[in-house]
Amino acid sequence: MVPSFCGTCLSRLRPTPRVLPSLTSAPRAAPFHTTAVLSSVLMKKKNRDAPAKKYRERTAFRMKKKRHVERPRPPPAGERQALRKRIVLSNPNALEVKDMKDLSADTMIEARLRGSVLGLPMPMLDQLRASGAFKPHQGWAIFRRPGTVMRSETLEMGKNFHEITSEGAGKGKVFKRIISGVRASGKTVHLLQAMTMAFAKKWVVFTVPEAQDLVIGHTTYTPISGTNPTLYAQADATAALLSRVINSNRDVLSGLTVSREHPSLRSTVKPGMKLTELATVGTTDRAIAWTVFQALWTELTATSPAPSLEKHFQPRPPILVTVDGLAHWMKNTEYRTPEFQPIHAHDLAFVNHFLSLLKPGFEKPSLPNGGALVYALSTSNKPSVYALDVALKQLEARQAGVDPKSPEFPQPDPYANADIRVIDALNVPKPKDAKEGALEVQTLGGLTREETRGYMEYFARSGIMREKVSEESVSEKWTLAAGGVIGELEKLGKRVRVAA
Amino acid sequence: MAWQRPSCIVQAMQSARRSAQPLLQSSSVSPSLSPIPTYLFARQRTSTRSYATEAKPEAKKHEPPKAQQAFAAAQEIDFSVFSNRPARIVPASPAYFSGNPKFTDGLLEMERLLAKYESLPTVVPSEAPQMAWLKLPQFREFLGEHVPARKFKVLLSTLQRLNQIDPALAPQEVRTKLNSFLRPGNPYADKPVPPVVDELGRARAKGKRKTSSAVVYLVEGEGEFMVNGKSLLETFPRIHDRESATWPLRCVQRLDKYNVWATVKGGGVTGQAEAITLAVARALLIHEPALKPLLRKAGVVTVDARQVERKKPGHRKARKSPQWVKR
Amino acid sequence: MVFILGVNFPERSLVKKSLENFFGIGPATSARLMARFYIHPTCKVAQLANKQVLDLTAALSEMRIENDLRRKVLDDIKRMRETGSNRGRRHALGLPVRGQRSQNNINTAIKLNRVDRKL
Repeated sequence: MVPSFCGTCLSRLRPTPRVLPSLTSAPRAAPFHTTAVLSSVLMKKKNRDAPAKKYRERTAFRMKKKRHVERPRPPPAGERQALRKRIVLSNPNALEVKDMKDLSADTMIEARLRGSVLGLPMPMLDQLRASGAFKPHQGWAIFRRPGTVMRSETLEMGKNFHEITSEGAGKGKVFKRIISGVRASGKTVHLLQAMTMAFAKKWVVFTVPEAQDLVIGHTTYTPISGTNPTLYAQADATAALLSRVINSNRDVLSGLTVSREHPSLRSTVKPGMKLTELATVGTTDRAIAWTVFQALWTELTATSPAPSLEKHFQPRPPILVTVDGLAHWMKNTEYRTPEFQPIHAHDLAFVNHFLSLLKPGFEKPSLPNGGALVYALSTSNKPSVYALDVALKQLEARQAGVDPKSPEFPQPDPYANADIRVIDALNVPKPKDAKEGALEVQTLGGLTREETRGYMEYFARSGIMREKVSEESVSEKWTLAAGGVIGELEKLGKRVRVAA
Repeated sequence: MAWQRPSCIVQAMQSARRSAQPLLQSSSVSPSLSPIPTYLFARQRTSTRSYATEAKPEAKKHEPPKAQQAFAAAQEIDFSVFSNRPARIVPASPAYFSGNPKFTDGLLEMERLLAKYESLPTVVPSEAPQMAWLKLPQFREFLGEHVPARKFKVLLSTLQRLNQIDPALAPQEVRTKLNSFLRPGNPYADKPVPPVVDELGRARAKGKRKTSSAVVYLVEGEGEFMVNGKSLLETFPRIHDRESATWPLRCVQRLDKYNVWATVKGGGVTGQAEAITLAVARALLIHEPALKPLLRKAGVVTVDARQVERKKPGHRKARKSPQWVKR
Repeated sequence: MVFILGVNFPERSLVKKSLENFFGIGPATSARLMARFYIHPTCKVAQLANKQVLDLTAALSEMRIENDLRRKVLDDIKRMRETGSNRGRRHALGLPVRGQRSQNNINTAIKLNRVDRKL
């Protein structure tokens, strides 16, 4: 009998299976040992997730091919900017405020209307648009039609404008203002109101909606020969100004004609030509834009006709000049001289012209036919110019009657390296001509409570504010807006509030 | 072993009682005005350890002055007195070996009183007279014994239970004893003076939130609000912050009745605004204390004392641990 | 398309960037060049007047740029090598020239510092 133990290794022998396993399923060990073969077929892990291979497909790792994604084309040049600078002046969903009056020649002097919101006259909107009076983020788009509050400063300005235009002692006066104030206190809208009044009074309006554009090196510049120190003309910027003037004052200018010889423009400009045509010469040929502007300015500030050209002369209307963001004109520009020195903003002929108007004119007022200079500072886009701060303080002190020689008169810090040209530009002596007003700084603060109430009522009647306008809610908003700062009031007014 | 004879123990107890008696009498007579516990005080004056075998004053009475008696013969021994003396030195107090004899005696005394007057009606603890008991360190210093805190707690609970006896019915004896455990001075007497509007009509109040602290002057006016000398708008460009700073006045419709001058420092914008909220609310309460329930409902009276939890070493933030991987 | 010094530039490109295309002109030089001919910093090639283009071309042709400059640089390196100066030696060895450490981080030097430097 076969022993059940292997004689050499003493391991127990397995009984041989009755049915032999199939030859394909398990490999057989070499038959030199009597020990039964342990089945060593390992179960291979099946990868169920892997897709079944196709016939003769390669098995190595493959990079995925980048799929070409069809991207929409970027919008054409200038379209996005146009969208960003788009000005929407009406909202058809807002309620129409009944019996809202227009800001016109009659209403602008009515003290009774103080605190109420007056609409800008619809026919005038195109003029205002053309002169760049509106800015994109002023919140016009929430109301049915644009309107502004009659605040005390507006009324005062209306009265001044009325005096300058009407027959009387104040006829032909010039008043000069620099508008300052905290952020969102309505400085730019104050300029807008000034323009509206000027248009209503048939003045000629020159506007510079962004003073910054002239100094950041975005327009062409050329030296003007024969000037010492060298002044630089900005053809494109001047042409843009001329086109603003043409588009916004077309009615007034087409009624006026060229009344004197302009030797520098002899080939194109003839006496008897309409002033609109004169200005158009500048916009078409940009190289002579600055000369055309000077000619136009001479025509508009003429008080009497040149000899032998009397038939072409009509009395000239007063002029309104507005500038927004004055501080940009008080520092070095991005332009360079050929020696690579920075050009000061006061060396730009355009800037120089409008700043020199602040000084009293030689022999006759700077605006001989009367008018107003309203230059606003900006607080949201403001370069810090130390000299300007000092100059404004000096102006205020002079306005308050402080003697410039007295020790109380603010002086620049001798170590602060203040720009002397800026201080000189605003150091305006008292004008000799009685018609010419002194340069003043007007600080816009908040609205009074009554004006706040009127403003809030306008919100409520436009259907924007869902609150009852009461003494209490008005005073709450007045305090939250830090004493009625109008831009903050607007934010509070259009905020949807959950009932507290 | 004399201690083991019962007569000896009796003698020791008697002598202890005798030595305690005059002290108890003196404490009951002494005026209770003194804040210092008199009976304990009296004991302290005597030497720390007193022995029954020491000569008593009445025993000494019979002796003539020593100077005159220099050469006299020894006095006859008065056996009537002597016979009462114990044969051995016996501690004056049975608590002599307890470690804190004075404390133990005092505690026993108070427990005796409690047992005696336990039946008297009591009041709830909040209505019991407010008593500033001696603190543990003061008590230890006073007794000259290291009283364990646990035992002191037991004494305090006894005192409090005695204090709860209806004040109308509490015996003089109890009150006197209780008063002897009071701290010197009256800590409950000097309460802060309620703030008032000053002669210029200003109410001044402080407020804190997060790490900001604000001081506010509130005067009657028409709604001006200045923070650090600047307008509300310049300090808080966000409307929400402005609203929270003015909220106490707004919620009681006093926004146009008062002017605010606030100075605030530290922290961030939210903290500063809410510190002003609290300060304005407190200042408003000085002007009009009747508004307190309204202001409390508006949530401006409650102090928010939460502070940022500090960051700990070994953590990413205050409590967050760094990511942990097993290997 | 505008030709400046024989190179064609698309009209929408900035003058400043166009000038910087020339080897040897960087931001500073291009800004100075533009200031010399009253060209504002954001001017585009299309906005240049004819005279300004001619002026720029004339000014550029006088400057040592492009191949002239490349040749000069190579000549300088060669001269330093021939005179046997330290800088010349370092160039030949492909090591840092201006006293930097050479124990490590000299990949840039290995790449660039050659006698026949690639420009």
